Amino acid sequence: MVGTLEVRELTTGYGEKEVLKNVSISLKKGKVLGIIGPNGSGKSTLIKAITGVIPTWSGEVMHDGKNIDDLHRRERARVIGVVPQDTFINFPFTSWEVVMMGRNPYLGRFENPKRDDDLAVKEAMEATKTLKFKNRSVRELSGGELQRVVVARALAQEPRLIFLDEATSHLDIGHKLEIMNLIKDRAKHQNVGILSIHHNLNLAARYCDEIVLLDGGEVHAKGTPKEVLTRAHLRAVYGIEAEIDENPRDGSLYVTPIKRQVMEEDKEEVVHVICGGGSGRVMLKELVEYGYEVTTGVLNVMDSDQKMAEFLDLRCVTEAPFSSISEQKNSENLKLTEEADIVVGTDFAVGPGNLDNLKALLYAANSGKKVLLLERKEFDERNHVGTEGDRIYRELINKNNVKTVTGMDKLIRQIDEGNL
Amino acid sequence: MIKERTGWLMAGLAVLLLIIAVYSATVGTADIPFNEVVLITLNELPLINRYVSAPEGPSRTIVVLIRLPRIVLGIIAGISLSVSGTSMQGIFKNPMASPFILGVSAGGGLGAAIGFYLGVSFYYLPLLAFLTALGTVFLVFALGRVRKKTDIATLLLAGLAMNFLMSGLTSYIRYMSPPEKMVQMQILSFMLGNLNEAAWNQVYITLPIMIIGLALVFAYSRDLNVIQMGEESALQLGVDVERTKFVQLVTSSLLAATMVAFTGIIGFVGLMIPHGARLIVGPEHKRLIPTAALIGGIFLILCDTISRTIGEIPVGIITVLLGSPFFIYLLIRNRGDTGW
Repeated sequence: MVGTLEVRELTTGYGEKEVLKNVSISLKKGKVLGIIGPNGSGKSTLIKAITGVIPTWSGEVMHDGKNIDDLHRRERARVIGVVPQDTFINFPFTSWEVVMMGRNPYLGRFENPKRDDDLAVKEAMEATKTLKFKNRSVRELSGGELQRVVVARALAQEPRLIFLDEATSHLDIGHKLEIMNLIKDRAKHQNVGILSIHHNLNLAARYCDEIVLLDGGEVHAKGTPKEVLTRAHLRAVYGIEAEIDENPRDGSLYVTPIKRQVMEEDKEEVVHVICGGGSGRVMLKELVEYGYEVTTGVLNVMDSDQKMAEFLDLRCVTEAPFSSISEQKNSENLKLTEEADIVVGTDFAVGPGNLDNLKALLYAANSGKKVLLLERKEFDERNHVGTEGDRIYRELINKNNVKTVTGMDKLIRQIDEGNL
Repeated sequence: MIKERTGWLMAGLAVLLLIIAVYSATVGTADIPFNEVVLITLNELPLINRYVSAPEGPSRTIVVLIRLPRIVLGIIAGISLSVSGTSMQGIFKNPMASPFILGVSAGGGLGAAIGFYLGVSFYYLPLLAFLTALGTVFLVFALGRVRKKTDIATLLLAGLAMNFLMSGLTSYIRYMSPPEKMVQMQILSFMLGNLNEAAWNQVYITLPIMIIGLALVFAYSRDLNVIQMGEESALQLGVDVERTKFVQLVTSSLLAATMVAFTGIIGFVGLMIPHGARLIVGPEHKRLIPTAALIGGIFLILCDTISRTIGEIPVGIITVLLGSPFFIYLLIRNRGDTGW
């Protein structure tokens, strides 16, 4: 396709170690494509592979229908300009000289810069507001000033595509926005394609037309910021719980990380938690943080446990607010207990409306599931259905595969040991 | 600052080099006046000799056969070492790199020590030193290759290791050699570097190598500039980084090895002159390389003139004694950065 960079099934790595696996992305001219992902997910490696710093193992990179590996490195440098995260320069080149290095792909071995080279450098330095220190040594510049000089170098390169490798991460917020606005402006008005690696999810959400989320060298998700920046994706890839709000002014997303999960590793077991009235709120969160797949039910909508389940994006059987559990919801809940490896019952208050939840625990115990009961409160104190509740409860705790535990830590340890 | 006037600076330095060269030819045990040296020199040049007549006699012999080859070889050594050092500092992106960083000096020193110990003739000694110098560099290269690429950090360590190894072996030979055979003295003299044995045939060998080396380094000026941005950025700016490193390391090692073979290990020139030149014209290699070359030539014949005046002490001692204080001055001046 003309006017794009197409990366198809790209696989590469260092030595024996595979870092990127079958990555396919497409960058359109005039658009900003963001690359996000945790450390070690292969973001920078992607730039290295496309720009020929490291060889690709398989797959191909096409620019305007031509395989980029067929381009001479000087031609490639006219197509792609890169702004790295850091630049260390040991010798006192002036800012002007450093920006002029962007003209390298246009100059022959013995050729001196000509008028149009000077113009390109001047224009790039004006755009980045670096012209005023064009004669100063880059060794005397602050980190932010130097980075703007390096951005100017990429602009002077007049490439069709600009790659930013966390290029603004060392800049203060003012210069960050200035550079991103400048880059976005280039994309729009000069039809330059931008590929931008971001650590800052909000910057990515704000400036990117499309986002690719990398995880472990593979594309986990791609699409518009709204499609990619979801709680489920962030949880799965970064292991964080985050709130995602929409900026009412311009509609851009805003990500607020709440807490990092303890995620030692994802566990295979499914834990079904029967709770309610806030008795399971913390338990749900802890189990998710320990890496279990958690389901829950039946919870009334607007119950604080239900809110937590929604926040954690759990599979949850819900009933209308302040209503008794219907037959249909009950059978859905029973199905979830069947699918679970372990069923946990918290010390929720038992009333006529949710007596089915207590029965569901007995159902799970009868079907041979391991059932753990959290007993911070005596059953008598929370039983509001009299002898029927007593009878079910006693039958429940007398089962061999049912265990009562007095604290949440102990309960989770029980589950963990069951794992071993 | 001086950017616009680099051409004039070069011309000025070239004239200065010429004047100092001629002046140097008047200095020595026999007093030969300036104008006589000029006439003798001009008379020796093809074409011009038709129009210039010069007196015959011992002065002519001294100037033509003793002083001039020594001065010309000194200029060649100064240029070769400075250009080699500039190239090495460029490739290593480090102002502390020198022509001897890959083991040229220690390797050459070992070859020379073996030669002196075995009593090899003066004709073959340079060849032996040259071969051991290049052999050492070859080993360092082999060690510095990582995944078909030349890894600069590994190369640096490999050079360090080979320098130690070769110096150790040289010390062993020195220690083993009997003092009465003068081998100790010969090795020491080689290690300090000197122009005592300069002759025209050495000029004929070293001059073409110097010219080719200078041209090759100069041809990569812009690549050397861009490499200062880091190898990855240089690649993305269209520089063939691997080829640049290879050509530069081989060329500068060849330049250094050639000079070591004929003049011994003249220290400090290749390390310090690029610094001095960088202070004057900045780090841009298109200006830096010719400036360093000219200053290198001037500096080395000045040092050799001093060495001849105060009684034939090896020129390497003078370069170090003059160079170190200057180096310390630079260090103090640039302390706390703004770079070299």
